[in-house]
Amino acid sequence: MKSSRIEELKRQRQIEIRPKKSQLPFFFFLISICIVFYLYLFGSNKIYSIIWAIGILIGITMQRSGFCFVASFRDPVMVGSTSLFRAVIIGLMISTVGFGIFQYITISNIPNYLIDDIPGQIFPVGINTMIGAILFGIGMVIAGGCASGTLIRIGEGHVMQIVVLVGFVIGTVLGAGHFGFWDKLIISSSKTIYIPQYMGFLPTIIIQILVLGILYILAGWYDRKNSIMNL
Amino acid sequence: MNLKHRLLKKPWPYWVGGVVLGLLNIFLLFTTGSAWKITTSFLYLGAGLLNKLGININDWYYFKTYGTKLNVGETYFSNSLMIMAIAMILGSLASALFVSEFGIKKIKNKKQLTFALLGGIMMGYGTRLSFGCNVGAYFSAIPSFSLHGWIFGIFMFVGAWIGSKILFKYIL
Repeated sequence: MKSSRIEELKRQRQIEIRPKKSQLPFFFFLISICIVFYLYLFGSNKIYSIIWAIGILIGITMQRSGFCFVASFRDPVMVGSTSLFRAVIIGLMISTVGFGIFQYITISNIPNYLIDDIPGQIFPVGINTMIGAILFGIGMVIAGGCASGTLIRIGEGHVMQIVVLVGFVIGTVLGAGHFGFWDKLIISSSKTIYIPQYMGFLPTIIIQILVLGILYILAGWYDRKNSIMNL
Repeated sequence: MNLKHRLLKKPWPYWVGGVVLGLLNIFLLFTTGSAWKITTSFLYLGAGLLNKLGININDWYYFKTYGTKLNVGETYFSNSLMIMAIAMILGSLASALFVSEFGIKKIKNKKQLTFALLGGIMMGYGTRLSFGCNVGAYFSAIPSFSLHGWIFGIFMFVGAWIGSKILFKYIL
């Protein structure tokens, strides 16, 4: 190819990928507002200020890494890729250790602790969990986003996720409205199962890390065999 | 391509996201005593709106049995979960603006709109039965060593599988 032709192609390409208009000024404006609000919260309620800061960091992390719980479950089925699923497993392994330490410290200070005293998300498990999870799983795939993903995409400017959020609000209100029915039918007989009460604290942490590790390895093997990215 | 560019402008690998989210969740638990959760903020939003419309939902069985879980001085519109939800939206917005990726992306068609609304309702309803979404009943529940986190994860996968089949058949 003649050099003039190459130059022409180069110029054409440059026009095609004209740099996007910088949105940095808006970024600085927004970040200043966020910092001012942080300082306001810091003065009135320290816990709120921490939640505010962590929430913003979660938003940045999820947007920057393209982290998506829906894709972590959908991609293995649809395109055979498990890289997001494995990323979730890594997050679970790290928080297993951290949560374990925090729960251990908290519980050791309370003789004869009750389940309600243990920090974290500990709730009844039963048929209701299965029905809820299946509904949630179908919903997140057809809506193209879960709770966290919806918030992240609203931040990126997706109008559709505002519709998902409206649906979410309707769904939670309906679910809360019908709660009496489900409670009498199933939930009241569901037991809260806190695994360390059955297996001991340290064994639970070790076994959970092992199970997550095995899942990680299996997911890697599945990816190598099935991912369309590898073909 | 220098390091600064790679760190700031390029997307992070997924595993970095997993590590940072895991650490942030631990930090949240250590400092506030509660793990990361989201969907109850959506219920609060709905509950607050219904209250404004004159419907007294505090009489509902759900709120009577479990209480509102709001702390003293908190309302349906102003509470820690709402702060978390708004902060996540703004964090994502800030991040998108930083790399100049923000843009209004419109809804493509009616079908997409219907499935978005339907999917949202299904998720919202599901979270009341299972006590949380894939954050509260999975990403925060498994590290809390509550069995419901594992059961939720397994059956969410079943749901995602069914959803993928629906997606192939009706949407794509």
